[in-house]
Amino acid sequence: MSLQSVALWLSETPLALELADSNWLFGTVEALHVAALTLVIGSIALVDLRLIGVGPARGTAQEVLERLVPFTLVGFALALASGSVLLFANPIGYSENFWFAAKFSLLALAGINALVFHLFAQSKLAEPGSVIPRISGAISLSLWLGIVIAGRWIGYTL
Amino acid sequence: MSLLVDFAAWLGTTSLSALVIGHDWLVPAIQVVHILAVAGVLIASLHIHLRALNLLERDVAQEQVTARFLPILWGALGVLAFTGLLLIASEPTRAMFRTIFWVKLALATAASIGTWAQGPLALRFNTGGVAVSPAQRVLAVATLLVWLGVIYAGRWIAYADAWAGAPA
Repeated sequence: MSLQSVALWLSETPLALELADSNWLFGTVEALHVAALTLVIGSIALVDLRLIGVGPARGTAQEVLERLVPFTLVGFALALASGSVLLFANPIGYSENFWFAAKFSLLALAGINALVFHLFAQSKLAEPGSVIPRISGAISLSLWLGIVIAGRWIGYTL
Repeated sequence: MSLLVDFAAWLGTTSLSALVIGHDWLVPAIQVVHILAVAGVLIASLHIHLRALNLLERDVAQEQVTARFLPILWGALGVLAFTGLLLIASEPTRAMFRTIFWVKLALATAASIGTWAQGPLALRFNTGGVAVSPAQRVLAVATLLVWLGVIYAGRWIAYADAWAGAPA
């Protein structure tokens, strides 16, 4: 089954038809997506800035991680759920959109970066002067900035 | 409404408006900065109010958390105001002629005051150490809901109908 046939099938589902008919439903889910995304960005930015060695977050990098990552995960789950619903609004358009593909590629890279951090860099947090957590934080911050940019550009290129 | 119509007409003639309109990429770029500033507002407010609800940084006094995150809130609000003005300049006849835009501004003002008030409330009740008063908890829940309302109203500007007789 090709991507296009999946997109075509999604566009004919009851949810897709409801989203096309109802302005309030699309707007409401979109608002939830923005709120969830800003929760992800806000919490992850504080963590990344702390890894880099700046920002207002209090405590060690490990403490900041433990305190804020739950917010990131809740925000991400909400963004994923609301984003999945929004996908039904224009599946064919999204499947052919460069920025949509770019956003998901950057999301995948952010996930890989988080995994690499967890496996190789988190243990080095207590080491004074270690640059690996700083690099990981800078990469994460750049990737999430790219995700916001790509996400906003989708709306202008559909 | 005539004052707003005059303001919109004047804004449309400014070089700021010409600059924003003249570059296709500028409006989405400004919106990206706007969204990042919303993230700043949200995370600063969450720290301040979740502290009042004993859900975050409960070993630190409320006024200390408020003092640490209020500068971020004010800075982010400043960026929101500036980028918001640029977005209005890109389309002067749009947002200002929709009720939801003014609802958003009113809610944002109320939520900003509610977030700032956590510091004075903590000093007023002087619950000592890391304890918080019921008034702070009520304010925390109410203000966080209002911030969600700001985000909802902001997104709704794109879908709301303009006032009857508004300039096209």
